[in-house]
Amino acid sequence: MRLVKSELQKLFTTRLWWIMLIVMLLLVVLQLVFLIAFAGQEQNGAPGIPALDDPGWLPIAFSAASTGNIFTMILGVVMMTSEYRYQTITGTLLVTPKRTLVIAAKLMSGVVVGLLFAVVALVFVGIVAVIAVVAGGGTVSLTAHHLPQVALGILIGLALYTLFGIGLGALVRNQIAALVGAIVWSYVIESIFAAIPALQPVGKWLPRGAYEALMDVEVNTGLGASNLLPVWGGALVLIGYGLAFALVASLTTTRRDIT
Amino acid sequence: MTAIEIRNLSKSFGPVRAVDDISFTVEAGTVTGYLGPNGAGKTTTLRSLLGLVTADSGTALVNGTRYADLASPVSEVGAVLEATNFHPGRTALNHLRVLCTAAGLPAARAGECLEQVGLSEAADKRVGGFSLGMRQRLALASALLGEPRVYILDEPANGLDPAGIQWLRGFLRYLAHEQGAAVLVSSHVLSEVEQTVDNVVIIAKGRLVRQGTLAELTASDGDQSVRVRTASEELRPALEKAGGTVEELETGLFRVHGLTNEDVARLALDQRILVTELTPERSDLQKIFLELTGDESR
Repeated sequence: MRLVKSELQKLFTTRLWWIMLIVMLLLVVLQLVFLIAFAGQEQNGAPGIPALDDPGWLPIAFSAASTGNIFTMILGVVMMTSEYRYQTITGTLLVTPKRTLVIAAKLMSGVVVGLLFAVVALVFVGIVAVIAVVAGGGTVSLTAHHLPQVALGILIGLALYTLFGIGLGALVRNQIAALVGAIVWSYVIESIFAAIPALQPVGKWLPRGAYEALMDVEVNTGLGASNLLPVWGGALVLIGYGLAFALVASLTTTRRDIT
Repeated sequence: MTAIEIRNLSKSFGPVRAVDDISFTVEAGTVTGYLGPNGAGKTTTLRSLLGLVTADSGTALVNGTRYADLASPVSEVGAVLEATNFHPGRTALNHLRVLCTAAGLPAARAGECLEQVGLSEAADKRVGGFSLGMRQRLALASALLGEPRVYILDEPANGLDPAGIQWLRGFLRYLAHEQGAAVLVSSHVLSEVEQTVDNVVIIAKGRLVRQGTLAELTASDGDQSVRVRTASEELRPALEKAGGTVEELETGLFRVHGLTNEDVARLALDQRILVTELTPERSDLQKIFLELTGDESR
């Protein structure tokens, strides 16, 4: 437990976490502005985003918080790679020579960080979205239209993406390479797999596909329904990735010479 | 119990045999200098001892146990490795607090140790702005957190200014001779530790070259000589007659081999020769160090 506390102390005594938090909230705001502006308007002849007074709008607004995953992933990468970049790993392992304990503590603190970010994002989205719905003449129901499922999906997703980051960081160790890898993977490769119908059967098995399945928020943009796993399938695949990255993190770290 | 025991330790990195069958011990209450040129294998030895590097063969024990098996490593061993083990965005105090938390030590130890190394004023400054000397002091502070009885320091004098080196010498002597700790300190610059250490272990190219007390080393290899200054021409023949080998360094200044300081003084007194300088020249350990470690040390 004290190791988890120490890991959290490491993160919160440096500046990156609040920079990431602010940038995440800015991105969430951008999406909300978009969702509010285009609420109830048709897109490509399809219904598009529901109107503000439609009970279907709120879950979609909440899903804006799901964009936090990239930030918790970056934090995860940095939590691991800064130990190598600044060689603080030496001090860490001198205090705790049993390396599996260090990795376990890092993973657990990663889950805590991911959950914290998810809670902040959800509360933030909730306040803005509820105000928007009330202003738009709708009634707010926080249990309708699988809203709890979206919120839960975001909590799980952000926590697991932090683990992905930690695992990737342990594997790659070079901070810049790991960060570039994480961003290219999320924004380029997975986007391609999600956007091109022929690749979607593969894409649904990737972390992003699983993450989207977990929230199961469908916006009909006229491009055809996306091909996703069932909710439970998405959850299992995502947790599988989380475990795999955790395993990578511990295997790569326990055997390495720290020179 | 032997504080540090290294037995037949070997470690290769690829084709390079970094540490080759090294054995030595460090006892409580003494300062041992681990000396050798850069790349001799000092750091690899110390990192193996601390469980950071896995040795190919041999054992390295602290207080009779592998470092990784120590119940509370920070309370038994204080280690100072490179000067760069800090996150530049974290303050000095927070750096130590993180370690205190992980080690289960009270957070107050962070401030106490900063004070001990003279860094209190910089406690809330980010380490990124620290000089190399300040980083070394902070590293030393982190070694002090658990009040250990064994200290392992890798090139702690690097980057310290002369006053800092002076301070470090005093501090290491205090830890060993007054606190009774075992101190193992590595250096590639002999003069940094020469005045501090009780025992010396010299390695080169991964192999142990010589070990012993400082006195043993200087005595066995010591080419004792005496410097004499006199205006008299009669001293030289008298010295040679008494069995000394004399070389004239400059007019009126001689170096005498084979006679002790007292021999020379007595001769001068007997002959009623005025001597204006009489200095015993202890053979410099630096010279031995250079001879033992060979060409690569220069």
